[in-house]
Amino acid sequence: MSATSQRPTTRPTGVALVAVAVVLAVVFRPVLSGLLDRPAVANWATVFVAITLQAVPFLVLGVTISAAIAAYVPPSLLPRLLPSRGQAAVPVAALAGALLPGCECGSVPIARRLIDRGAPTAAALAFLLAAPAINPVVLVATAVAFPGRPEMVAARFLASLVASVVVGWCWLRIGRADLLRSRHRSHDHEGTRQEVFLATAAHDFLTAGGFLIIGAGAAATLQTIVPRSVMDGLAGSGPFALLALGLLAVAMAICSEADAFVAASLKQFSPGAQLVFMVVGPMVDVKLVALQAGTFGRAFAVRFAPLTFVAALGSAALVGWWLL
Amino acid sequence: MTAGTLIALVGAVVLRLTLSDAYLRYVQNGMRPWLLIAGVALVVLGAIALLRSLLAPSVDDGHDRPREGWLLLAPIAVLLLVAPPALGSYGVDRAAPVDVRSGRGTYEPLPKSTGPVVMSLLEYGQRAFDGDGRTLRTATVSLTGFVAGGADSTSFRLVRYQIACCAADAAAMIVKVIGISGRAPARDQWVTVTGRFHTSTGDTPELIGLTVQPIPPPEDPYE
Repeated sequence: MSATSQRPTTRPTGVALVAVAVVLAVVFRPVLSGLLDRPAVANWATVFVAITLQAVPFLVLGVTISAAIAAYVPPSLLPRLLPSRGQAAVPVAALAGALLPGCECGSVPIARRLIDRGAPTAAALAFLLAAPAINPVVLVATAVAFPGRPEMVAARFLASLVASVVVGWCWLRIGRADLLRSRHRSHDHEGTRQEVFLATAAHDFLTAGGFLIIGAGAAATLQTIVPRSVMDGLAGSGPFALLALGLLAVAMAICSEADAFVAASLKQFSPGAQLVFMVVGPMVDVKLVALQAGTFGRAFAVRFAPLTFVAALGSAALVGWWLL
Repeated sequence: MTAGTLIALVGAVVLRLTLSDAYLRYVQNGMRPWLLIAGVALVVLGAIALLRSLLAPSVDDGHDRPREGWLLLAPIAVLLLVAPPALGSYGVDRAAPVDVRSGRGTYEPLPKSTGPVVMSLLEYGQRAFDGDGRTLRTATVSLTGFVAGGADSTSFRLVRYQIACCAADAAAMIVKVIGISGRAPARDQWVTVTGRFHTSTGDTPELIGLTVQPIPPPEDPYE
């Protein structure tokens, strides 16, 4: 999907689509309700709605901040706040992520806005990765989930920070501006600041929200169909356990404020593998990849996700080996 | 116009779920204020966008209709059409259960009480493995959960999910109810069980069931 792809052209199409959907829904409602008698389908629907619903407040927060940056922060300000050398700007931006309380859905539109406002791409990406993992809310949740084990919190903070900075620096070396989808020119909304705020908020919410739905559907599907025996089988086997929990984090797409509780419940895995789960999850999961593909473009997402996965896995493995 | 309608619709559905307490089937009850704020914000944002496009069609939102936004109709359709139920027994064996042997420290003795002491499955499990159930020895307790598999003529598994954020992170807290007479209640039936502590041989805490009372599903199905 390129920036020049056709926009939805006429309003009647949209209205007709909704009308058709309503008619189909009424006709097939008995069939759909019957489907819920199948426990797997009911389980899928519940998880799908749950992921979407719990993300909405965070999405609203992220979209509000993103729109406020678009409307009220002059384009010249951000480059002045960050160190001019890219190498230094990356860790500063990653640490700044600690200031954004919330989970990963909110930070994607904010990172996009930072880039549009002139922040170095590498720094914005480091912020994107670090914010959901190292903010106080998430760290407190981690401490609660692992009572009496503060080293778990420290390891999570350190491993997430290192991975974000590494990805940022990698982007400085190998990233190319043309990988990021350029914004449609019309997305620079014009008018008074208030108008810009409202237009940006509406646009960002619909874009991010739509991709969140794709990701929530994928996560619900994986949660419903992957049997637990597959995971248990991998638990005992050393390095494979790290990889297994990394992949599980990608598949489950749990909010970063809750993933520590799930990690703590994965008793059959080593603390190092649990750390991998908590470091990978907020940085790359199916819901997040869908969001990033929608926000930055598919060409970006297919490169960024594997790079981030490897960096997060490596960083968590090293820090875990050292601290845990 | 469609953008404003869509956003307001999402907000309205979030508000409806939250105010009707149906949201408790999907997310943790602590999310309530944030859901309310987000719902109101979306309704206001959508209404303003809608009004502006109606009042001044020339500044229409032609470029403000990301096509992906339509996907937001998917969960709304699911909710309005079939209202997915709270998680049931299907997921119990698909995720790691809560391990109560790792949690809290020592418990205070139970309060003196004439009737059964009402407690969560989590508390029962933690007390059961705290000093080998020393605080449960003389008490009768009352637990509420749903029935999940493993049922035979004398025992069944009583389950309640713990959720930290939403149903996607649910972990099952399982208590094995033993020594029941008559037939075990049907799978996924909600029940209130009174019973006495029994020292468990495995990882799952056990309860000798005295009475098993079927009940309608509670408002908040999770602990």
